Amino acid sequence: MRTFDYFKPVCVEEALFLLNKFADKSKLVAGGTDVMVQWKKRIISPVALISLRNIPELNFIRMNDCLEIGSATTHRSLELSADIKSKFPAIYDAVSNIGSVQVRNSATIGGNLCNAAPSADSAPPMLVLDTGVNIVSSDGQRSIPIDQFFKGPGKTVVQPNEVVKSFSIATPPENTGMAYWKHTRRSAMDLPILGVAVLLSFDEDIKTCVKARIGLSVVAPTPIRARKAEEFLLGNVVNEASLDEAGKIAASECSPRTTIRGSDWYRREMARVLVKRVGLISTERASHFSKLES
Amino acid sequence: MGERLMDELFVGKSFARMDKDKVIGRANFINDITLPRMLHAKILYSARPHARIKSIDTSKAEKLMGVRAVLTGFNVPEVKVGFLGDQTPLKKDKVRQFRDEVAAVAAIDEDTAEEALDLIKVEYEDLPAVYDPIEAMKPDAPLVHEFDARGKPRRNNLLPLPWKLEAGDVRKARESSKYVVKDRFSTQWVHQTCMGTSGGIAEFDVNGNLIFRSVTNVPFGGKDRLDMFLKNLGLKGRSRVLTPYVGGSFGSKLDTDIYEFILVLLAWKTGCPVKIVFSRKEEFLASPPRQPVIATVEQGCDSNGRLTFRNIDMILDNGAYTSWGATTPSVMMIPVSSLYRVPNVKFQATCVYTNNIYAQAMRGYGNPQATFVIEQSMDQLAEASGIDAIEFRKINANVPYEKTPMDLKITTCPMSECLEIVEKRLNWSEKRNQKTSRGVGVASFLHVGGGARVYLSDAQGIIMKVDDEGKVTVITGGTDQGQGSETIIKQMVAEATGFRPEDVSIFQGDTEVCPWDVGTHASRHAFITGHAVLLAGADVKRKVLDLAARWMPEMIRFDLSKRARKDPNFQVPLLDFSPLMDTNNLELRNAEVFLKDDPENKHFRLPVAKILRRAHLVGTGKGEMVVAEAFYDPPNEMLNREGKGNLSCCYTFGAHGVEVEVDEETGLVTILNYVAAHDVGRAINPMLVKGQIYGATVMGCGYALTEEIQTNHGRVMNPNLLDYKILTAKDKIPIDPVIVEPIEPSGPFGAKGIGEPACVPSAPAIVNAIYDAVGVRIKDLPVTPEKLLKAIKEKKAKEQ
Ligand SMILES: Cc1cc2nc3c(=O)[nH]c(=O)nc-3n(C[C@H](O)[C@H](O)[C@H](O)COP(=O)(O)OP(=O)(O)OC[C@H]3O[C@@H](n4cnc5c(N)ncnc54)[C@H](O)[C@@H]3O)c2cc1C
Repeated sequence: MRTFDYFKPVCVEEALFLLNKFADKSKLVAGGTDVMVQWKKRIISPVALISLRNIPELNFIRMNDCLEIGSATTHRSLELSADIKSKFPAIYDAVSNIGSVQVRNSATIGGNLCNAAPSADSAPPMLVLDTGVNIVSSDGQRSIPIDQFFKGPGKTVVQPNEVVKSFSIATPPENTGMAYWKHTRRSAMDLPILGVAVLLSFDEDIKTCVKARIGLSVVAPTPIRARKAEEFLLGNVVNEASLDEAGKIAASECSPRTTIRGSDWYRREMARVLVKRVGLISTERASHFSKLES
Repeated sequence: MGERLMDELFVGKSFARMDKDKVIGRANFINDITLPRMLHAKILYSARPHARIKSIDTSKAEKLMGVRAVLTGFNVPEVKVGFLGDQTPLKKDKVRQFRDEVAAVAAIDEDTAEEALDLIKVEYEDLPAVYDPIEAMKPDAPLVHEFDARGKPRRNNLLPLPWKLEAGDVRKARESSKYVVKDRFSTQWVHQTCMGTSGGIAEFDVNGNLIFRSVTNVPFGGKDRLDMFLKNLGLKGRSRVLTPYVGGSFGSKLDTDIYEFILVLLAWKTGCPVKIVFSRKEEFLASPPRQPVIATVEQGCDSNGRLTFRNIDMILDNGAYTSWGATTPSVMMIPVSSLYRVPNVKFQATCVYTNNIYAQAMRGYGNPQATFVIEQSMDQLAEASGIDAIEFRKINANVPYEKTPMDLKITTCPMSECLEIVEKRLNWSEKRNQKTSRGVGVASFLHVGGGARVYLSDAQGIIMKVDDEGKVTVITGGTDQGQGSETIIKQMVAEATGFRPEDVSIFQGDTEVCPWDVGTHASRHAFITGHAVLLAGADVKRKVLDLAARWMPEMIRFDLSKRARKDPNFQVPLLDFSPLMDTNNLELRNAEVFLKDDPENKHFRLPVAKILRRAHLVGTGKGEMVVAEAFYDPPNEMLNREGKGNLSCCYTFGAHGVEVEVDEETGLVTILNYVAAHDVGRAINPMLVKGQIYGATVMGCGYALTEEIQTNHGRVMNPNLLDYKILTAKDKIPIDPVIVEPIEPSGPFGAKGIGEPACVPSAPAIVNAIYDAVGVRIKDLPVTPEKLLKAIKEKKAKEQ
């Protein structure tokens, strides 16, 4: 019979100790919604499962000068946080549409990003927010920008002796709008055919773009940023025409595959359409916020 | 029997579901049952779509601790099973699809059994395979079966089931038609996707009789097949089928499945009870879904829009073996010949062996495919003749009391009424032809509503046992797979006997005790059970009233004198007891017996429990009890050699109308409004009828938009609920179910069946609405965003 030992460390230090002890025979588990599926499918067979559920230092949402999210924070807690919804709506858009409420009650943002599925819903918003990933090991701590975090499907820069501790996000400048759109065939329990996050910061006129970020999922082996499309928008007046052009450029930056969930041409086409649409939502949100603030 | 009782107490009311144990988690499904000494089975499926088995090495698996038996085609008797006898439970010579059962293990737990499977080594020699039925029909196609069940060599992949129906003269009618349309449509593999997966427990008792706990909804048919299997194995025992709670069937549990025969073999070899429950993955990989069809349809009409002829040719991908899927053309014939009034009809269906998974029954039994084809062609013909789509259907609508070209005898038929309801509630005239990315579409259906004589018997037996507490136990051969029949049976029994629903309990699911029933299929359960209930219930009532006439006067006298003894002020009234002594004067309602003409008479009213107790416990050796039975076999007909006959006592009609919005940039379809108008004869429980309409409509919408078993060279690529996309509660489809009640004279309490129909017209209604919205017609289900976007782009390119 296939079995494993299950450890419930109560602090990061203990988790690191266990990681060092079992090394590559161990697996960290947060909500377990990816880990247990992989275990059942026999993709992984660890000797030790090290749970991060009982570690308070990994489970928090802190909003000071910047936003910091503990890696073992559930999607549901993020979804229910008023600050996240009002100040980081792109994160809200993503986490509130993952799986079902039951899944979100268990699944964590750290698990979602560390699992590094090309379709991870929280990846595009975290990409457009220039998130810093704080990683610890018994040797110390390091911080990695999220656009250097993903290495391939299921692969990240996290080493076997490391734990992702938290995510740091700087408060976006004034006149910023952001949104995420998950393109699916049904309204729940679905993975995106394509996920698009857009963040746009504007001049006071809410027309000229001073910062642009476009994050895409499922169009490459890892979630990516559409840097050429971002560059195109930077300094430009944002309107339907320029967003349409940005969509076209973003589509050309994609290298999607044909799978049973969608054809490459369709995904590329959706990148074009949805970058424009999500860009429009972001623009609208930016002007809405600037109206609220003034 | 069919006339409506004007003062019904229980029928026609929305009683809440009485099977509460499911909601609180106390119902026992097959998953919950554990027997002493029970072993767990796992099945090894083929790793190839088509190959010769060169060798199977089970030696390592046999040595694994905890393994009790490892079976292959080489160590069990070769017994043919299945409707055409075209397979054995464990495959020996070759495998013909990925779901072929190659070996089976019984072990002390599931993990051990699974581990044992990994230790079995099978050597294959690949054979050329064929996955497309059209390819499989070609003369040089690889043969899926080299021999038939009798051992005769086969020359092609066609099943020996030439389905044909012809009425009138199609060729002549075509020549005289003003407008003719012809097109080709196809549908996909879809799965029943029951919440409860397949499973069972087999065990032999000390006398060598088989006890089989099964999820079947055909316990007696299943018993027959198991008995035959035992006989062919050379075993003397007989079988007993027990059915626990079942988590849905939708047709998937109509045939005895291969894993069930394998369980029997394992129980026989080990002498222990052996259980299997499929994982969701196994359910998708190894249980038989609804088959795809490729259909060519041609229809014509005259200058007034009256249908002149219909000619349909169907090719069915049968997969590698034959189960009930191959008989669905018998039901396809119903809409082909009789959906709308069409005098000249020709139909031909060919079932073709391929190296794909094979097909079983699914809700609608061929009707969803046939109606998909017909109703799109109807829209095309309406357009060709310049008549509005609803108007065109009204011109051709079926009418009451007419015989159709298939010799179906239509009785009540509110088809036009249903179309009008759709027209009105959808705001049709305003919404149609707007070409604004929004559109409306319609499709009608007809289906059997009064049983279906697909076997020599379409009967159900029922026993009612009334005990001296005034409770009625109904022993029935029918089964419930989740539809709520317990609730309506109690309502109907209460109505028929004069007891109350809470006095009724139901015993079912044991072939040793329950009287025979042909099976809970073909939307027949409420209809046939209702009739059986009316027969047995009338007998119960007659017997109770007979006892009442004999015992009531004495009992009432006794009560009065007792009261007088206790209460000196009480004057015993002078009463004329003679009316009580004639059963014709008595009535039994709400579990009380009283005088029919004098219901207010408080002296002459007794609870039925009291009377039964008095009649039972007489103290003289002359006690009596009430038991009644009935065996109801409806007056419907089997199809004759020409495929004609009045298959059902009545037919049910309806129309679905849909308003959709198409996102022309993404190809996504949103359902904005959905009207489902259904003729149910009479709703025994309107809430449960609506439940059937909601559930089946959502299933139909999944068929139209999201559901599809995707295969690649015979391999199922999406065996999970993420990638096999049934719709969820969050996909809010605004369904407006409308119940139309023409009160069917042939139906019990006026009712017709409603189990299947609502999943029939959804797909064509949606596809027709999409056409109205964006001017492209998707002829191949499901309408994925990709297909639709591609079609929209092609149309736009053409227009430029
Ligand atoms: C029914 C269902 C529906 C789903 N729907 C969606 C969906 O809509 N969108 C979506 O994106 N995903 C979906 N998922 C996938 C999954 O739920 C998410 O990826 C989830 O966020 C994973 O979080 P978790 O806490 O459960 O991760 P776990 O399964 O516990 O872990 C995932 C991986 O991350 C590693 N890990 C976890 N925490 C850390 C850490 N702090 N440091 C280092 N490594 C760590 C683990 O070792 C493992 O490799 C779904 C899953 C299921 C079962």
